[in-house]
Amino acid sequence: MGNDIEKLAREWMSASPEQAQVESEYYCPTRDVFEARNNKTPEELINKGVDESLSYFIYSILGELGNNSFDHNLANWPDVIGVFFAMEYNGKNGRAIIADRGLGVLNTLKKAAPELKTDAEALEMAFTKKISSRVLENRGNDLKFVKNNVIENNLFLKFCSGNACVAINHGMERETGNSVVRGCVAILKF
Amino acid sequence: MRIEIIKFGDKLVSRPAGREAFLALESYQLKNLSPEEIIEIDFEGVNALTPSWADEVVTKIANKFKNIKLLNTKNATVQATLKTLREYSDLKV
Repeated sequence: MGNDIEKLAREWMSASPEQAQVESEYYCPTRDVFEARNNKTPEELINKGVDESLSYFIYSILGELGNNSFDHNLANWPDVIGVFFAMEYNGKNGRAIIADRGLGVLNTLKKAAPELKTDAEALEMAFTKKISSRVLENRGNDLKFVKNNVIENNLFLKFCSGNACVAINHGMERETGNSVVRGCVAILKF
Repeated sequence: MRIEIIKFGDKLVSRPAGREAFLALESYQLKNLSPEEIIEIDFEGVNALTPSWADEVVTKIANKFKNIKLLNTKNATVQATLKTLREYSDLKV
């Protein structure tokens, strides 16, 4: 399987706002577009032979990741609204990518936890502690669901924001990003 | 009172959709019910459920009513979501 969708995601992340907003099969400017595309995920995977239960877990994890981008950047997108969403499966291995050019986890969580200093601390908090930047609402469980079900279904997730990444498989490990991610990038492998 | 979750769809993911579902329930099925009323939440037919959607519906119903029964929760995403809500949203059911 080639590296194409990761390359396309990187290009989308660094493109000018005008180029990034060009209509494409991967760019989802609104939540409705993202959800309409993700709604096809389970049927597509099941038709290609992926276990039904796993297909719905992959759909649910992608749904939480994509909706999180919209929930936390609504009305606050720095330049380009929406997410890049792509998935591929070759009958053996699959990969999905969701990227946004939003505020990023640190800037988002700082509203609720001003003591946060680094991207790494913010990612650790996002995936392990009950917290939400939308402080007037009882939120903050979605990334914990993602982490637990990536682990339980033996999937692999790399999630990067700012200069930090976490890699989740049998557990969660911090990684230093190779480059600075403006917003968030999630790569799910299955 | 039995709430059939499948009537909102078989794939239930986002908070806005969950919020809309709860507003509809509050306006119709749950309207004027006593907090003592037995509420059965039936997940039969649901293929995918996430904490974002369920937090807006299941957690809010559980906060309003004392006698909640969860039915047909065998789907793996339903089970995983309920586990997340119990752990992170103080769902007591």
